[in-house]
Amino acid sequence: MIYAGKNTGILVQGATGSQGKFHINLMNAYAKQVGGTGVVAGMTPGKAGQEVFGVPVYNSVMDAAEEHEIGASVIFVPAGGCGDAIMEAADARIPTIVTITEHVPVHDIMRAVAYAGSRGSRVIGPNCPGMLVPDECKLGIIPANLCMKGDVGVVSRSGTLTYQVIAELTSAGLGQSGIIGIGGDAVIGQTFSEVVDEFHADGRTKTIVLIGEVGGSLEIDGARRALDLGMPIVSYIAGVSAPKEKRMGHAGAIVEGGEGDAASKIERLRGLDIPVATRPSEIPALIRSM
Amino acid sequence: MKFREYEAKQIFRESGIPVPKSVLINSAEEAKPALEKVAEKVVLKAQVDVGGRGKAGGILPATAENISEVARDLFGKTIKGLSVEKILVEEALEISHEYYLSITIDRAKKMPLILFSSEGGVEIETLAKERPEALRRVYVDPSFVTLPDFIVRNVIGNAPKEIGKIVRDLFAVFRSKDAVLAEINPLVMTQKGILAADGKIILDDNSLTRQGISENRDLTPREAEAEKHGFSYVELDGDIGVIGNGAGLTMATLDIISHYHGKAANFLDVGGGAASDRVMYAVRLVASMPGVKVIVVNLLGGITRCDEVAKGIIEAGVPQPVIVRIAGTNEEEGRRLLQECGYVMSDTMDAAIRQAVEAVQ
Repeated sequence: MIYAGKNTGILVQGATGSQGKFHINLMNAYAKQVGGTGVVAGMTPGKAGQEVFGVPVYNSVMDAAEEHEIGASVIFVPAGGCGDAIMEAADARIPTIVTITEHVPVHDIMRAVAYAGSRGSRVIGPNCPGMLVPDECKLGIIPANLCMKGDVGVVSRSGTLTYQVIAELTSAGLGQSGIIGIGGDAVIGQTFSEVVDEFHADGRTKTIVLIGEVGGSLEIDGARRALDLGMPIVSYIAGVSAPKEKRMGHAGAIVEGGEGDAASKIERLRGLDIPVATRPSEIPALIRSM
Repeated sequence: MKFREYEAKQIFRESGIPVPKSVLINSAEEAKPALEKVAEKVVLKAQVDVGGRGKAGGILPATAENISEVARDLFGKTIKGLSVEKILVEEALEISHEYYLSITIDRAKKMPLILFSSEGGVEIETLAKERPEALRRVYVDPSFVTLPDFIVRNVIGNAPKEIGKIVRDLFAVFRSKDAVLAEINPLVMTQKGILAADGKIILDDNSLTRQGISENRDLTPREAEAEKHGFSYVELDGDIGVIGNGAGLTMATLDIISHYHGKAANFLDVGGGAASDRVMYAVRLVASMPGVKVIVVNLLGGITRCDEVAKGIIEAGVPQPVIVRIAGTNEEEGRRLLQECGYVMSDTMDAAIRQAVEAVQ
């Protein structure tokens, strides 16, 4: 299992908002298609008794957990309430907490991720597209029509760039074992290294594709971890043409005075003998050459 | 968003961190009265947001005899491209020792990190590289609202005890202001005790609203306008307008434009879940930039719906050619709408970008 599987019951926090509703429908359409459990409960404070596409809504995570077997939560609540939502899910001991929301205050995330850890929960995100295990489960917003079952594990800080890479892989006939979007913010829950460990423990992944961006050095740590575990890995880092000291969308994607810029990151990865694509369309050929 | 020195010092003062006496002035005429309030000997510090301000001539000593002249001179300067609009008139200090103290976030460890050195007054990056043992690093559990004693002891080591209180107060600033950096460099020992001689506070941009800040002034006016619509927008100097969704995909679009030897005019990430009116505004904004000859729209639907994107592009109705690549949620409907209106569609990202680069050559 990679964080969740076919039989994982999913809770959606922020179920009655427009994004929550829209994606409950898509997640359950996928669950139906692959014969999985899908979203079993929704949660929005004060909205107990409502239904979203047939999914019952509860006032609290605890209330939902009393009625349903919940293995994972997907959070769509507004940024200011996100830290709180993560802690509520962790308090109810939900093992996997996927946070889609962007612009979450960094102090909230630090505290919520630490608390979740102390409760044995793992946080994916925030500011991420979630995860999808082809033919098993979808937790979040990754377009399922792009994905195909196989043995390539995709882990990425980006959202849409991940979809681009999946589309390239699928059209080249390379299926995926799991697709995990870890999020683009400076502080996130699961990092590249932890996802690499998860792919390794699950055992169905033959090659890892690591998709990074400017900022920080989590990519290097993740690549080293894959090498330590003897897992083949290829990479793509976006932002070689990003001007320095400019914020390019993600809080994490800031070029910090030469540290963590794309070019030096690519150089360090190549120094570890890891093939790095210069365009997403080159990734399938790099995987085939492994 | 960055606070300037005078703002950081005001926050320090309110938080109980001792700072030198100072007065902020907006014109040379205010200089002499300011000195009379502060001290006989002062330094004039240009409030510009650049590193290496002292070496660039942005900090000048003055006395009652020459302060008006020195202030006039400094107001007339540009420091690393920035004009001087505010000057801090601060008492000159007799410094016997310098320390370094900062609190930041370690993104890999996901924790606040306190850095302290008894060897301040040097380039801290150089010290960290050459003599890492001289820089104390203490991590703080993210659940701590205030610092426990043992952490304060671990930070200051053998340094004077009164620094311990400053560490506590700086941590309170870091927490209460939602900072990603709170720094005192240097923290100085003087005959009047320990003072924060310079300070820097950078706020988390995701926390500005709850800090009561409505505008991020680090942005250019057009960037600020774009941010109001939920875009991340950066102006560059090429002729190919770029609209993408997601920072990574938009950056990759820029990278591939360079790969084909084209030049991007901008970076515009419309963000997640873009509705048609926001897409329309994005297309019009990019089209309004002087020198944009062609626009590439590269969008992959996830939380963004392709039909909404298509409607936005059509409603924008800009004069430049718009080359569209969309895929993902509600893709068929989006493509149908655009094809009906005669837009150029590309099946792949590489092909769309190549077409755009060829269009301007």
